[in-house]
Amino acid sequence: MEVAEKKALKSIAIIGNPNVGKSSIFNQLTGLNQKIGNYPGMTVDKMVGQVHVGEKHFELIDLPGTYSLYPKSEDEIIAHKVLNGLGVEKPDAALVVLDACNLERSLLLGTQVIDLGIPLAFVINMKDLAEKRGVNIHTFALYQQLGVPLVMTDARNNQGMEAVRDLFQKENFEVGKPFHKMGFPDLLDEVKREFKLETDYQAFQQLIFADFDPLLPSDQQKWLKDKAKTHGFDGMEQQARETEQRLSQIKALLSSTESSGKGTPKKFHAALDVVFMHPLWGYLTFLAIMLVIFQAIFAWAETPMDLIDGAFAAASGWVSEVFPPGVLTDLLSEGIITGIGGVVIFIPQIALLFGFLAFLEDTGYFSRVVYLMDRMMRPFGLHGKSVVPLISGMACAIPGIMATRNISNTKERLITILVTPWMSCSARLPVYIILIGLTVPDQSWAGINLQALALLFMYLLGTVFTLLGALALKYVLRTKEKSFLMTDLPIYRLPRWQTVLLTMYNKSKIFVLEAGKVILAISIVLWVLASYGPSGQMEALEVEKERAVAAATEDQKHELASEFASKQLEASYIGILGKAIEPAIRPLGYDWKIGIALLTSFAAREVFVATVATIYSVGEDVEDELTIREKLDKQVHADTGEKVFNRATGFSLMVFYALAMQCMSTVAVVYRETKSWKWPLIQTIGMTIVAYLGALVTYQIFI
Amino acid sequence: MTAAKLKPRQTYEIVSLSVTPLLVRMMEMGILPGKKISLFKKAPFNGPMAFLIDGNIIALRIEEADLIQIKEA
Repeated sequence: MEVAEKKALKSIAIIGNPNVGKSSIFNQLTGLNQKIGNYPGMTVDKMVGQVHVGEKHFELIDLPGTYSLYPKSEDEIIAHKVLNGLGVEKPDAALVVLDACNLERSLLLGTQVIDLGIPLAFVINMKDLAEKRGVNIHTFALYQQLGVPLVMTDARNNQGMEAVRDLFQKENFEVGKPFHKMGFPDLLDEVKREFKLETDYQAFQQLIFADFDPLLPSDQQKWLKDKAKTHGFDGMEQQARETEQRLSQIKALLSSTESSGKGTPKKFHAALDVVFMHPLWGYLTFLAIMLVIFQAIFAWAETPMDLIDGAFAAASGWVSEVFPPGVLTDLLSEGIITGIGGVVIFIPQIALLFGFLAFLEDTGYFSRVVYLMDRMMRPFGLHGKSVVPLISGMACAIPGIMATRNISNTKERLITILVTPWMSCSARLPVYIILIGLTVPDQSWAGINLQALALLFMYLLGTVFTLLGALALKYVLRTKEKSFLMTDLPIYRLPRWQTVLLTMYNKSKIFVLEAGKVILAISIVLWVLASYGPSGQMEALEVEKERAVAAATEDQKHELASEFASKQLEASYIGILGKAIEPAIRPLGYDWKIGIALLTSFAAREVFVATVATIYSVGEDVEDELTIREKLDKQVHADTGEKVFNRATGFSLMVFYALAMQCMSTVAVVYRETKSWKWPLIQTIGMTIVAYLGALVTYQIFI
Repeated sequence: MTAAKLKPRQTYEIVSLSVTPLLVRMMEMGILPGKKISLFKKAPFNGPMAFLIDGNIIALRIEEADLIQIKEA
């Protein structure tokens, strides 16, 4: 039954150039009925939505925006595979979105899709802009010549969407008239037979993609290459030839079907660019916009994060009270609920940051940032598009790394992903504040507060290591791809709130569903390690605690509770691990207690504060930073009587926290974005080594 | 001359494109022989150049602009 229903659901792929309003049409047709999935072996997300028109239901597959079907990045490889049904189910039809102002460019892709032989329809979008520019499109003539049904829309203003729904209702998708005649008929015939393809153009594409499709079996790849060689078929040369001929055919077609007006950007837009692309004002505006975004993230994310924190703490408390005490209740209340809370807590930051990014992207401002920042990023092996992920990293590395998607060069994207966690994220702030309070005097020097200066230094340290790390990776990583910048700067438009909200929703969903699993698993492991120890010890402590509490007065109970919490942590597996690594961290100025905090911090950096509070039995009230600080300040080494948190240890710890990968959520997101464990592992090990050396040097300087 | 050296406030015509792996990419963006091209903006310190072609603003690095042969129109 389930299977039969699935078959009845017709699937339609939607494709178009970047910035033609494809996602706008996709969102309008599907609304919240969107699902995000994976293409096997690819990092690009698979977006599928459901369209309901009257009694009919369709599955709409959103393909990435591309200018042609030639392989340049994963985007085109996916378009190629989906439209030809290679390794995935072939859609029943294609909906190609064209730009009314740029028909020539749009039809390059449009006629390529026609020649694949798949039934299709055209949506000519942005008709409002074309009208303003005086472009007149003779739709009927275009239909007669191409044989493809077409409708005109202005999707932003919801105009013409009824006509698109009508296309679905009538299933008005037709196989167009073959547009471009390919050369090499014998070769293409052989390829068609071998791969069971229908049209010449499919065969041509199969030959071109032989080099690029990572999932093509090597024997097939070899077969295609050998055939190309015997027939003297040079892929690059043929692509150029095809593009040139196709474009001149399109030009001839448009001369009879389109009367174009003067194509210059409007005065208003040019005036905006005078500011936004200005060699001075452009940068200042960008800086100001980023500052506003940061301000907003810090101000607006705090309340929901506190609420989430409180809600999960309450839920955890409720479970441990209501359910009978035991291992399962502990697992549920302290392991699972706290673990899920640790995932959900990131949603406000992720949603807000992506809300702002979608807003800037949708207005057209974003590509100006790429234009402005490219020159500064290039010496470090980065791209203009790396700027936004890196700056986002100052709030939280997770949305930053998720925002590297649009960097098309694999090497530049990878470098950006690998160095973003070095930007000083907001989770480091509580650690810095405690340690600076302990080690830097609250005095002014030439009118500047020394503590503020220390904090600024930590942020600069993060940024410097990010750039140096990128520079080092630039020479280490090898790539065939050549870095380039070739980007359309679209005209400015008002943002569509629907797009902004959907982006916020989708990005949060991806994070929770995909990275969340890994985070939950690691946090349960960490919880087990921190709550259990070798057999007998924990139970013995529990018995001892109960006896002591029974004998104690009301006043002493609090003290006893924190004393035993510290002892239990010491006896746990993580406590044993902390002691085991003590010889290794001694040279950095840490004792085993700090060692435990380093280990638990892998859940998230801010856990450091709670752990040192427990292990030094500061008490349960860890919310009050001042009390923690005062009590930590009094800690001395039992053997030497020296202060534990002296200047050298404090500085060394701050450097360690600045440079180490102490965030399982980031590890999980890097795994998701690179689709392999190789890079998150290399990154974690590399960052830990650098952090160790950095902390070692710092301690030896200040001791 | 190439588009890397064109002067502001002057319109040129694209004559040809150098044959490189970027050739197809340029053509599909609408950078084609016969089209009019002019400089829109230039980022400081030899950063990217933004060109006006067919009513579209297209940003390229200088190395890429250098692949476009132009003549005064």
